[in-house]
Amino acid sequence: MRTFDYLFDSGLYWPPVLAGLAIVLMCGVLSPLVVVKRLAFVGQGVSHSAFGGIGVAALLAALTPAPWGLSGAGAEFAVVVAFCIAAAMAMAAAADRRAVQLDTAIGVSLVASMALGIVLVEIAKAVPRDVAEGPVFRGWEPVLFGSILAVGKQDAQVAGAIAAAVIGTVWWLRRPLIFWAFDEAASPAFGVRAARMRSVLMVLLAVAVVTAMKLAGVILATALLVLPGAAALRLSDRLAGVMAWSCALGVGGLLGGLVLSFEADMPPGASIVLVMTGVLGVVWAWAGVRGVLTMRGREAARG
Amino acid sequence: MTHVPVGATTPQAANGAAAPAGRGDAAVSYERVTFAYPGAEKPALENVSLRVEPGERLGILGPNGGGKSTLLKLTLGLLPLPEGGEAGRIRIFGMSPREARAAGLIGYVPQRAEAELGLPVSVRQMVMLGAAWRLAPWRRVPRDVRRRVDDLIGLVGAESYADRPVGKLSGGQLQRAMIARALAAGPRILALDEPTVGIDVAGQRHFADLLAAVHRELGVTILIVSHDLRAIVAGCDRVACLARRLHSHTSPQGLTPQVLAELFSHDVAGVLGEVHLHAHSAGQCDHYGCSADTNAAVQPIQGETRADV
Repeated sequence: MRTFDYLFDSGLYWPPVLAGLAIVLMCGVLSPLVVVKRLAFVGQGVSHSAFGGIGVAALLAALTPAPWGLSGAGAEFAVVVAFCIAAAMAMAAAADRRAVQLDTAIGVSLVASMALGIVLVEIAKAVPRDVAEGPVFRGWEPVLFGSILAVGKQDAQVAGAIAAAVIGTVWWLRRPLIFWAFDEAASPAFGVRAARMRSVLMVLLAVAVVTAMKLAGVILATALLVLPGAAALRLSDRLAGVMAWSCALGVGGLLGGLVLSFEADMPPGASIVLVMTGVLGVVWAWAGVRGVLTMRGREAARG
Repeated sequence: MTHVPVGATTPQAANGAAAPAGRGDAAVSYERVTFAYPGAEKPALENVSLRVEPGERLGILGPNGGGKSTLLKLTLGLLPLPEGGEAGRIRIFGMSPREARAAGLIGYVPQRAEAELGLPVSVRQMVMLGAAWRLAPWRRVPRDVRRRVDDLIGLVGAESYADRPVGKLSGGQLQRAMIARALAAGPRILALDEPTVGIDVAGQRHFADLLAAVHRELGVTILIVSHDLRAIVAGCDRVACLARRLHSHTSPQGLTPQVLAELFSHDVAGVLGEVHLHAHSAGQCDHYGCSADTNAAVQPIQGETRADV
């Protein structure tokens, strides 16, 4: 199998695999909350806001002189994360104040960020620059479809640290977060700060989406936040069980997708999302069959 | 019989968050409360004065748009009432609503339709969250809180489905679970918002029995806000009829069968008018602090034509 050759002979693909594991575990923890709170479209809005962040990062890289240049991948990542968090907070604030509907706010943010990013990148590319300083922009393809196999050891460490921070924050706030997620309308009456919980979840979503873009790109990053949770909610009626299933399905989808990618020479991001979608389809079909069987069993018991 | 002592150790008390309530204070006192939403032509509440004694069960009855929910939100500290001005004052065991909320003095039972039932939280987890959501994240839920949660689940009769996800409960079962959650932090007041919406007649009877048991066992003050007369009559010592102003404040016995029959067949203005006239002609509205205006003609609420029963 090519997979074993890739993993064990060259050793080049362990950082991508480990980074992917960190990302799917992080997304697996958040995914049930995203599904239950109907935030899938928010994920799309946040991930597409990355275009604007990339444009700002490219412009900063073009305008800053070499010794203090912001042209590295780390600087770009930080700018994109900051931009996406700002976009997520703006969407949440607009919806909270009922200035506009949330889906309208997401739609506006999505298209405005994409347009801004494309324009800023073109401006950045036009800025005169020493070739030795490297490019200010590496092309849209990695942004759109991800570049997990290009992840190095340092990127994997960053992904691991971010995943640990996100999962740690969810654990730290688990009680008020679950209280709010379960009963947002009543939570202020109990003293749970609903607006703060929503903001925290939006920030975590923004961080997770931007990190997940490494794996699956802007277009498919949201899939990692939706598919595992949607399947897990059909597999268990216990909160801990749902979280565990969500993480397990994320890991399974990642490994299955990578194997598919290695064996069939397919793009890894799309392969991972396809495997996860397939698993979700099987789970939904099984849940449907189980529901019908349970109903028939009850009817038979009634005579 | 299940015994759940009032004032048992709660997470708030353990954290030192709960301030002691003053002796001799009313459970809730409304003093000339007037509140208008920004941009509204008329105030939602006008000059409402009422005193609820500790341990009393008060029903706040009125049509949709009559200010019940506004009064409840003000009581819970979810809407700001400017202090010291013409807006009046609300005190809960001597504290402002915000202080009372921070001290966990009020347990709240919302309308069931608002919960996110897709999240597989069990009844026990939901009640536990009501008791322990403020706990420091590194702390396990103390044993006495766990015991209290079990006792409350027993008190509301939810033992048989304590580990079932709330999304799989019937309306009545979910309401019991929500009452247990509201009581989990050891509040001194239990506030229920439209508790009988979506519950059949048998369920409403069980609800009244449950509320009586909670009152008997815990001695909490109970506030029920509803437009459903049956919920109010079944579970309250006194009834405040609210349609922007406090139109009457009476006992359920003041709502005689004749009046009730008329309530179910008359429009809202008529309903409130009958309650009002009956209560005051019987001299039953001498409760301290009551602002019911015996001479005020009851005005129909816009858009309301019939009591929703």
